[in-house]
Amino acid sequence: MNVTSTAIDQLQEELGALAARAKPTDMPDEERVARAKHVFVKRISMGLAMNLESCIDCGMCAEVCHFYMATRDPRFAPVRKFEPVRRFYRRELTPLRWFNRLFVKDINVDDLKESQELVYDACTACGRCDMVCPMGIGISETVHLMRESLAAAGLIPEELRAVDQEQREKGTVLGVGPDQFRKVVQELAAEGIAIPVDKEQADILVLSSALNIRLFRQSVAGTAKIMNKLGADWTMSSRCFDASNFGYLSGDYPAEKTVTLRIIDAAKACGASRVIVPECGHAYVALRWHGANMLGERPPFRTMAISEFIGREIEAGRLRVKEIGNGKSVTFHDSCRLVRHGGLLTEPRIALRALGLDLKEMESRGRTAICCGGGEGSNYISKAEPLRQRAFEIKMREVDDTSADSLVTSCDSCRYNFMTKGAKANWNHPVESLVELVANNLAD
Amino acid sequence: MTLLDFARGPGLQWSLIIMIVGLCWRVIGVFLGRWRKDLSRPRSDDLVQGGLRAIITRSAPAPELEKNIRFQHYTGYIWHIGFFMTVLLYEPHIAFFKSILGFGWPGLPSHLVVIPAAITLAVLVMLMIRRMTHSVMRMITRTDDYLSLIIIISTLVTGLMAYAHMGPRYETMLALHFISVELLFIWIPFSKLAHMFFWLLSRYRIGTFFERKGVKA
Repeated sequence: MNVTSTAIDQLQEELGALAARAKPTDMPDEERVARAKHVFVKRISMGLAMNLESCIDCGMCAEVCHFYMATRDPRFAPVRKFEPVRRFYRRELTPLRWFNRLFVKDINVDDLKESQELVYDACTACGRCDMVCPMGIGISETVHLMRESLAAAGLIPEELRAVDQEQREKGTVLGVGPDQFRKVVQELAAEGIAIPVDKEQADILVLSSALNIRLFRQSVAGTAKIMNKLGADWTMSSRCFDASNFGYLSGDYPAEKTVTLRIIDAAKACGASRVIVPECGHAYVALRWHGANMLGERPPFRTMAISEFIGREIEAGRLRVKEIGNGKSVTFHDSCRLVRHGGLLTEPRIALRALGLDLKEMESRGRTAICCGGGEGSNYISKAEPLRQRAFEIKMREVDDTSADSLVTSCDSCRYNFMTKGAKANWNHPVESLVELVANNLAD
Repeated sequence: MTLLDFARGPGLQWSLIIMIVGLCWRVIGVFLGRWRKDLSRPRSDDLVQGGLRAIITRSAPAPELEKNIRFQHYTGYIWHIGFFMTVLLYEPHIAFFKSILGFGWPGLPSHLVVIPAAITLAVLVMLMIRRMTHSVMRMITRTDDYLSLIIIISTLVTGLMAYAHMGPRYETMLALHFISVELLFIWIPFSKLAHMFFWLLSRYRIGTFFERKGVKA
């Protein structure tokens, strides 16, 4: 049941073939531009307008962006990634648009096509630039708006589009659906790990992900062990177990909404007061921060990341773990989505301290952590592979500088990225999941 | 009416009117845009405090990011401080403000104010050269950036020339200095120089945005 190189190779091969599965999104150039503009008009609120009004073109954002740091390619300056929306705003929406129209060129389809590489391949919307901007511009949310506009214009990269289409149309991700989920549940039951599935009523609805089912089954097992140890009233839904949201990753807003509302309905149906998201940064953001806005009201449950849940249960003394430190040192990789966009700085560290591990922090951590380059669906885009490898190597060096015995993270996309990019760089640093580490060391 | 009379009279009045009306138009116009309420359950209850804190804390980078942006950060501070020292502490400027506001304040001896003015000028010229030569800056720079720099530099150059009695006769030089400042007033609402207001608003906004998520931004 451990992650095997064969399983990773199989998945990588499958990801490499995704592009061929994508259905075409052909349309006239004028329509692409019109659709992108429609998204801008619909989505630019006062907050986003503030972002677009305030930039002073200082270029500081570039200096902290891992894609620019790795390549020194000026095209990857974060501010440049949302140039089309900025131009559109200045021409069409700002209060002084009548003046700007004299000088600012209208956007065209070439601008959108050029943006595809910048916002999908060369940006994980990690938000490190948000932390340095002296004007306080939300750069990553503005780049995400670019993704939304490109999605509407039919310009999602093929691989991401294929998975987005699969999830929207079939409700599966990478072929993982209820049957594959039930198979894992049965396998775990055979190992003595019980997962209550499809309970009519439960206090906690636990989610998983296609990546968990395909690669990280121990993470599912670990979550179950923890829940059972706590004696929680919990369940998983066979029809709605997957927290992954490829609509969110690709900028396909309607698809994001469909997936999110499906989860909210499942939680409501079983009367859950808490929904636990697996080790998946983007899934957490999609449900925790976007869920209520998609629903139009605050849902009747709290969304928690599994690392958050574990940290709080340990802190409250309800979950006890063995002290396994014995001189072992670890460093913790903060997933951008969980820490910078989620505020989960302390909870994973509470767990690591409880395990008695010597935590050696990286130079960039917490709110200024460097992204590993695997977020925002970029792991799926083949042509971005060399670029992401270079961005990853910055992270690799930071990990090496800690001299920690192993790396712990609480995001499966990051973990997968560390494993695959690390292998390519002949970097065989152990990478562990926080959930698995805790679950394997529960106190009696 | 001489050039100086125009610059001190209607030129100044109209440029101030354009600046004030333009800024109000732009700032109020943004506020009149669509407000989208975030319905997600905030991790922190004190979003206002988060916003106010960001206004202050964004004045300096996080320590671990400082090394990446040292040049832009410190040159930015140097020229802003130098510029405001020149505007606010030069005796003739104070006398001018007093004639409008009815009160003044102590200034610095003229020969001392020349120092920050010269430093500011040098830094701005350096920043202009950087914009033209640094690959990122060249790529992201717009006409607005160059025009803003040129106009601010022109206020300093004309002011220093008037002080040193260089160039045309003093009255003409002084009129040119006034006109450059009036150009600056007119340009502010139409350009990125409106950040003199927006920096407060956007910092506050990012502070509340991240405070909701429990992140100190």
